[in-house]
Amino acid sequence: MEKIVSKVIQYRYFISLIVLFITIFFGYQIRFLKVNSDIINSLPDSDPDAVLLKQIGEKFGGNRIGMVILETDDVFTTEVLSHVRQITDSIKEMEYISSVTSITNIMDINGGEFGLEVGALVDPYELPSGKKALDKLKKRVYSKELFKGTIVSEDGMATIIIFTLYDDADIQVVARDVREKTLAFNFPEKIYFAGNPMLVTSISDLIRKDLFLLIPVTFLVIAIVLFFGFHSLNGVILPILTASIAIVWTIGFMALGGYEMSMISSNIPIILLAVGSAYSIHVINRVKQEQDQNKDKAITTALIYITVPVILAAVTTAIGFASFTIGAYLTMIRDFGLFTALGTLFSCLLSITFVPAIISIVDGSFNRERNQSVTLRPSLLSSRVLTPLHRILTNYTKQILVVWTVLILVSIGGIFLIERSVDVKDYFKKSNPTRIAEEIMAKKFGGTKPVFVLFRGDMQSPEVLQTMVKMQEYMKKDPGIQNTQSVANLILELYDALGEGRKIPNERDMIEQLWFLIDNNEYLQRFVNEDLDEGIIISTYSAIDNASKINFHHYMDEFVKNNLSDNYSIEVTGMPFVDVTMDQSLIRSQLGSLSVAVVFVVIIVGLILRSFRRGVFATIPIIVAITILFGLMGYFGIPLNIGTVLVASVALGIGIDYSIHIISHYDYGIKNGLEMQKAIEDAIVISGRAIIINVASVSGGFLVLLFSEMVPLQYFGLLVAISMVGSSLGALTLLPAILILDQRKATVS
Amino acid sequence: MYKTAYLFLLLFSIVLVKVSAQDANTLLSDMDQIMFGPEDREGTIKITLVNKSGKEKVREATMLQKGTDKKLFRYTLPESQAGIATLSLPGDIMWLYMPALGKPKKISILAKSQAFTGTDFSYEDMATTTYSSRYVPKLLSTSDEGFELQLTPINEKSHYSKIVVLLEKEYHYPIRMDYYNRGGKKFKEATYTYRKTGKYWNAAKVIMSDLKKKHKTIIQLTNVKFDQGLSDDLFKVENLKPANSN
Repeated sequence: MEKIVSKVIQYRYFISLIVLFITIFFGYQIRFLKVNSDIINSLPDSDPDAVLLKQIGEKFGGNRIGMVILETDDVFTTEVLSHVRQITDSIKEMEYISSVTSITNIMDINGGEFGLEVGALVDPYELPSGKKALDKLKKRVYSKELFKGTIVSEDGMATIIIFTLYDDADIQVVARDVREKTLAFNFPEKIYFAGNPMLVTSISDLIRKDLFLLIPVTFLVIAIVLFFGFHSLNGVILPILTASIAIVWTIGFMALGGYEMSMISSNIPIILLAVGSAYSIHVINRVKQEQDQNKDKAITTALIYITVPVILAAVTTAIGFASFTIGAYLTMIRDFGLFTALGTLFSCLLSITFVPAIISIVDGSFNRERNQSVTLRPSLLSSRVLTPLHRILTNYTKQILVVWTVLILVSIGGIFLIERSVDVKDYFKKSNPTRIAEEIMAKKFGGTKPVFVLFRGDMQSPEVLQTMVKMQEYMKKDPGIQNTQSVANLILELYDALGEGRKIPNERDMIEQLWFLIDNNEYLQRFVNEDLDEGIIISTYSAIDNASKINFHHYMDEFVKNNLSDNYSIEVTGMPFVDVTMDQSLIRSQLGSLSVAVVFVVIIVGLILRSFRRGVFATIPIIVAITILFGLMGYFGIPLNIGTVLVASVALGIGIDYSIHIISHYDYGIKNGLEMQKAIEDAIVISGRAIIINVASVSGGFLVLLFSEMVPLQYFGLLVAISMVGSSLGALTLLPAILILDQRKATVS
Repeated sequence: MYKTAYLFLLLFSIVLVKVSAQDANTLLSDMDQIMFGPEDREGTIKITLVNKSGKEKVREATMLQKGTDKKLFRYTLPESQAGIATLSLPGDIMWLYMPALGKPKKISILAKSQAFTGTDFSYEDMATTTYSSRYVPKLLSTSDEGFELQLTPINEKSHYSKIVVLLEKEYHYPIRMDYYNRGGKKFKEATYTYRKTGKYWNAAKVIMSDLKKKHKTIIQLTNVKFDQGLSDDLFKVENLKPANSN
């Protein structure tokens, strides 16, 4: 170890230069990083519902449909219709928009004795005016399922303009263009935007806003905490510099690998800033503690001790993050785990190479600081907090254990109250327009959660189309379904308009000839593929509770089972079903990633400390902290969602460090011939100081997330901060208490 | 002196504008004469739809036209749509005959911006009335290539803001038409290949491309015959149903 450490000092300039070049290289790569929060892209290929949903979205353009919602007192006025027309025209002219449908341009097929009338529901350039004309329009809209609750809400107070983007469109560019141009009209109606392109863009914009606003604040908070902890510039600059370099490397690595920044991975910089600074803090703290007047000698001695605990801390933290790659349902969570683990290892590597190299290069100022710290620092935290804490620990060891036991028991009660939430609208604050838009869509237009039924077979066969109609009728009996659409609706409309009755003709040639009227229509491309061997029923589902979604899945499966045929196949998928799997996976992945992380941590800590017992002891404080965390979530109604599901493993990864530092320091003392009491005191007073500074800076960093625009991230920040405080308290009270009792027991036996 | 010069200039420019307007009107009228000139015409029309990925769909029909506003198409391909016939009559009236239905149905196309049976042509493009009656022309430029005219729709409901037409220099048939949407952006273009058959020039091939959809429609006219003295009876609704069908 000494040899390796001395090489770091020997090659300090080389190390600094290499770090500089790598940072420039990865910094350049960041330019190519894209932000993408499309949850659909993140659905796993192992879930058949998710795979089919993605396929249908791509094939029939379902994921590229956006909506502009106009909310007003009455849609049926010439003024509102004129505004709808202007927005419709403006969107239509945009590049990458393949179609726009609104009340002012929707096709209307009328039939009767006079023949077939194919036209628009209203003449966009001679909008109905006057009560009579407007009432006539209203009557027409409410008489047709194609319009009612689809294009105009049943209460007549909201209308939507639906647009579809081309496959090669940059969703976010187009969505922003739609938003800007629509809002530029400054119409008096309330305007909202919904649909996947708008939702994804809205989330991405919030991520960007968070990144630009929160990262500098996190820097500031951590710098202030570090300054109060170390009272030196080195103590502030080095941890922040190391963390920043690790962030640049990690994000640059992501960009280089073609990964995109998601709503989850946008946390990486803040997490690395908080976590990555910890290793440097421990290295600097240890160097400052060394009494040697020779700077390089002091660094070498400090590194010989601190390298192992820092590596151990980093590896266990990385395991905590990497555990997401095993149990997580969404690929964006897996990517997050992978890159945060990588960033943690980068931070560790930098703290044991780059940090000592810089300390060694930086001139005498460090020595002065170090001398001051040796004489002044121990008296501050140690005299007021850590030494009294050690006294309490020695005198009230059993009582401390009792207090923790009570806390655990109370928390276990709270765990059973934890709720889960996968509803996308819960990601936004209550006042957020995207959330309001989602609520309007759910209330007035049957929701935004798409349900697709894929038919494989001859789309011009009477049997297939009749089954489609039958299935649509069946679907509408479920209270979560308001409207359904398919090519069968068009055939029904046309046949009815020809005066032949509202039914699917029994003859195939009749259908083929009706097709002549709709062939190549853009609208048709949303329902059938070009080869006419695949077609879909499109619907949206409005119920949000899991039980309804599960029942609906069974209800649909029942239909499929009872309508099997050799001539076609039916498959059902949709976001409600994916939600159910995602919801169930929250618990599964939580338990999975936690168990994996705990097992690995016990093994690694046990191996390095050469004691399985020590490994188990090290994990106790963090397991207790996580139990308390879950208890709090249960009691305070904080749901388990795609943000908070990360907390436990993150807390495990970071929180285990505190135990590792205490237990390593204690072992080091024992091995160097100290008595148990003195070894415990040294561990608490010396490592405890770094732990407290670290907890304050990490928690401060995470608490900045409270200002995030995304609700899951607010909870994430708060919960990680709480669990950091919990695990540090555990490491500084519960763990020493266990070690004392264990030692006493060993001495007695 | 200045006054006289000013008056002269004014008079000169008025005359110039008038000459140019006159030229534009004449040019458009010449184009109409070529496009709508024959008393009647018959031929085979092949419509090829080409999508963004280059996949083609072919339709074929026999065509009969009398004057500018009577048109009959009888589809022969694809097989599934063979026998379907459409009859366009004056006053934007269209009759549709589907063999499976066995009787003709009147269709009123109220929205002219709709695509004409799945092609890149709109019902407005397929109108049976002359361009002169629907657009105000303005001569934009004259070059070796031909005359460039800007056509502004008279009807404010048109979904075009303008059409820019390039006319062949000698015979004044269209070589290219650029269609601009109401936002003033070019979104479609048509290129024409004219051939002379007898005394008439006729569009042997028209390619209409939708620039946004990257979709195009190719119309080819073959076996074309002019002024055959087609009877008005051929354009009667009751004759839509082929004589040999029951």
